[in-house]
Amino acid sequence: MSADLAVAPPATVATPTRRSPVTAVAARSARSAVRSGALWGLLLGVVIASSAVSYTKIYKTAASRDALAATYGHSQAMSALFGPAPNLQTVTGFTDFKVTMTLMILGAVWGLLTSTRLLRGEEDRGRWDLLVAGQTTRRRATAQAIAGLGAGAAVLWIVTALVTIVGWHGAKVHVGVVPSLYFALAKVAAAVMFLAVGAVTSQLAATRRQAAASAAVVLGVSYALRLLADAGVGLHALIWVTPLGWVEELRPLTAPRPSALVPIAVFTFVLCGVAVQLAGRRDVGASIVADRTHAEAHLRLLTGPAGLAVRLLRATIIGWWVAIALAALLYGLIAKSAGTAISGSVHEVFAKLGAVGSGADAVLGLCFLVLAILIGFVAAGQVTAARAEESEGMLDHFLVRPVSRWSWLAARSVVALGVMVVAGLAAGLFAWLGAATQHSGLSVVTLLGAGINLVPPSMVILGVGVLAFGIRPRVTSWAVYGLLGWSLLLVVVGGIGAVSHWVLDTSVFHQMASAPAVAPHWEANAIMAAVGIAAALVGGWAFRHRDVQGE
Amino acid sequence: MSDEAIRTEGLTKRYGDVAALDHLDLHVDRGEVVGYLGPNGAGKTTTIRLLLGLSRPTGGKAEIFGLDCQQRPAEVHRRLAYVAGEADLWPSLTGEETLALLGRVSGRVDEVYRDVLVARFDLDPTKKVRAYSKGNRQKVVLIAALMVRPDLLVLDEPTSGLDPLMEQAFRVCIAEARDRGQTVFLSSHIMSEVEALCGRVGILRDGVLVEMGTLAEMRHLSALTIEATFEGTVPDLSHVPGVSAVATDGRTVHLQVRGSVEPLVSALAAAGVTGLLSREPSLEELFLAQYGEVGHVG
Repeated sequence: MSADLAVAPPATVATPTRRSPVTAVAARSARSAVRSGALWGLLLGVVIASSAVSYTKIYKTAASRDALAATYGHSQAMSALFGPAPNLQTVTGFTDFKVTMTLMILGAVWGLLTSTRLLRGEEDRGRWDLLVAGQTTRRRATAQAIAGLGAGAAVLWIVTALVTIVGWHGAKVHVGVVPSLYFALAKVAAAVMFLAVGAVTSQLAATRRQAAASAAVVLGVSYALRLLADAGVGLHALIWVTPLGWVEELRPLTAPRPSALVPIAVFTFVLCGVAVQLAGRRDVGASIVADRTHAEAHLRLLTGPAGLAVRLLRATIIGWWVAIALAALLYGLIAKSAGTAISGSVHEVFAKLGAVGSGADAVLGLCFLVLAILIGFVAAGQVTAARAEESEGMLDHFLVRPVSRWSWLAARSVVALGVMVVAGLAAGLFAWLGAATQHSGLSVVTLLGAGINLVPPSMVILGVGVLAFGIRPRVTSWAVYGLLGWSLLLVVVGGIGAVSHWVLDTSVFHQMASAPAVAPHWEANAIMAAVGIAAALVGGWAFRHRDVQGE
Repeated sequence: MSDEAIRTEGLTKRYGDVAALDHLDLHVDRGEVVGYLGPNGAGKTTTIRLLLGLSRPTGGKAEIFGLDCQQRPAEVHRRLAYVAGEADLWPSLTGEETLALLGRVSGRVDEVYRDVLVARFDLDPTKKVRAYSKGNRQKVVLIAALMVRPDLLVLDEPTSGLDPLMEQAFRVCIAEARDRGQTVFLSSHIMSEVEALCGRVGILRDGVLVEMGTLAEMRHLSALTIEATFEGTVPDLSHVPGVSAVATDGRTVHLQVRGSVEPLVSALAAAGVTGLLSREPSLEELFLAQYGEVGHVG
C-alpha cells in the first residue's frame, strides 16, 4: 500500500447518490428488524403448526378430546398460568390455548430486545451520532427507526401467517386466509406492543441494558396482572388494563373479538409518538431519566475477571433468580389443585403432554421443564456476555496483564455455572415453599433434587457455547441460541410422535428426567455434565490458539 | 538476562493472501524509547498485538525480555503495560473503580505515582466511564499503564483524543519513564511526539520494516534541502553529483543534495554564491518521503 498524496481531485463534481435522507435511517433499521422478524416469524409459525399437527395425531377421538377439555377447560390454576381454554375439543381451540402464552412472551421479548438494540443500543455504540449528524433531526431519525421496526413487525406477522397456513394445511384443518391472518396477528400483537415499549424505555434509560430491563419489568407486571385476571378470584376486569390481556381478548378462531385491536393499536401508536417526542427533548447519548454520572467506588468485587463478571451482571443475574423463584413458587402453589384433575383416563391424556406420574408431582414435572428452559437462557446469556467482553475490546485489558486465557475463561464459566446451580436450587426451594403451603406432600429434598436436575441441560448449552466461542467466536450467539431454540422446538413437536428418537435425543431437554414426577436420572445428568465440560475444555483449548477478535 | 526488551525474528502475520506483517526483524534494547511509524494498515497494531500475544503469528517469533510472547504470555505481561488507541472500558464503572480493577489484576501499583498521574492528567475519578469523553477515557488507560511502573510500555496511538495540554503531560511521563530506565515502544501518527521522545524510529510500509535507525542516521541517508542566492547569473547545478530537484526563482535556486556536499559547495563557491540556507529534513518529511510523491526529500 502506498499513499499517493499527489493525486488530484476529479475535474468534475460527481452527482451525489440519490438515497433520500428521509428514508436512510428507516432503511437501516428495517434491514436488521426484517431479518430478525423473518427468523422469529418462522419460529412462531413452526410452534403453531406443530401444535396443530400434534393435536390431530394425539387426540384422534372425540372421547380423548373431551377428556382433554375436562382436564384443562375448567382448571382456574391452568387458566391463570396459560390463559383460558374454552374450546379444547377443536384443533384450532387447542392450538390457540397451547401457543398463546408461549408466543405472547416470546413475541414480547423479541419486541423489547429488538427495539432497544436498534434504538438505545445504536446510541450506546456511538452510531446514532453519525445518523443524526446527517440531514435529519433527532425526532425524525427516531420516527424513521421506529418505521423500520414496523417493517420488521410486518414481516414477523406475514411469515408467522404463512407458516401457520401451511401448518393448517398439513394438519388438514380448514381455516380461511382471513381468519388465519387474524390468528397470526393476535400471536404477534404482543411483539408489536413491546417494540413500542422498548422504543420509549430507550428514551428514558441511559443504557441499552437499562432500557431492556425496564421494558422487561413492564412485561412482568403485564403478565402478573393477566394472571390475576384469569385466576378466578373476581378480578377479571384487570384483563383490560394489561397489554397481554388485550391480546388474550382477541380470541382468534374461538370467539373473535377484533375490537380488542383498538387498545392494542392505541397503546402502540401512543407509545411510538411518545418515544419520538422524548427523542427531541434530550441530547443524543443522554436519557430522560437522569443518569448518575458520578458514584462512590465499590471495590469489593473488583479483584479479577470473576468478580468483575458478578459485579457487571449482578442485576441481570438477580433478575433471573427472582423470576425463576417466583415462577417456581407459583407452580408449587397450583400443583396440587391442577394435579387432582389428573385421574383415570385423563392421566393418559396428560402423560402425552409429557407429565409423567400423577398428582402434584406430575404437574411440577411438566412445569420444571419450563424452568429448565429459563435456566438454559441463563446459560446462553452468560456465554454471549463473555463474547461481548471480547468483541467490545474489554477482554484485552485482562489479557495484556498477567491473566491467562484459561484463567479468564475458567472464571467466566465458573460464574455461569454458579448462577445456574443457584437458579436450580432456587427453583426447587421455592417450588417446595409453594407446594408446602398447599400440603402437597412433596419433600424439600425431592424438590431440591428436581431443581439440581435442571442444571445439566444448561451445562451442555454452556459447554457448546464455550466451544463455539473458542473455535468461531463470531457465531457464539447463533450457536447457543440455535441449540436452545432447536431443543425448545423439539420439546414442542415431540408430542407429534412422528419424530425419530434420534432427532429427539439432540434436544438437551429430552435427556432430562421429568423430576419430581420421576426420580432424576443421575447417570444421564452425569453424561450431560461431562459433555458440557468436555466441550468447554475443547473450546478453551481452541481459545488459547486463536486471535482475540473484535466484532 | 537478555539485554533486549523486544526481539522479533521473521515475525509474520497473514490474513488469507494478505500479509499484514511480513518477516519483521525488530530489536529494541532495554531503556530505549523507540518510535514506530506507518500509515493506516501498515501493520503497526498487528505488530503490537503479536507482541502482546493477542494474535497468533503465521510465522517467526517474538520475545520480550527473552520470554516467548506466545508461550509465556502471563510472565511477559507481568513486565509490561499496554495502552491502545481506543479506550474501550466498562461503562458502568467509575474511573477509580477501573483503576483499582486494572491495578489489582496487574499485581502492583505505585499508589503515590497513581495519585500524581490523576492530578497531572486532571482526571475526575468519581465519574462513571460512560460519562467520560473519549479523551478522559484515554487518560484512564494511560494512568492504568503508567501507575504500575512497568519495565516496558507498549503504546499504540496513546494520545488519541488528548488535548495539547494533556499531550504535554504525556510527554513528561514518557520522559520520566525513560529517565527511570523503562523501555518505551511508541506507535504514533504524531510526528512531533515521536521526534521529541524517541531515540530510534522504525518505519513500516505494507507490513515491511523499511527504515530503522536514529533520526541522525536517517537524516544522514536523506537529502538536505538547500536554498542558494547568487549575485549574478544563476549557474546550472543539475550536473553536480548528488544534486536533484533543482528549481530556479530569479537569482535564487532551490535544490536537494544527497550524500557528500563537497562537490556542491565547490560549485557554489565558483559561481559566486552570496547567500546559503541548508535545512535537515524533519521526521515528517522523512516519513512522507517514504510514502508520498509530494515529499521534499528524495
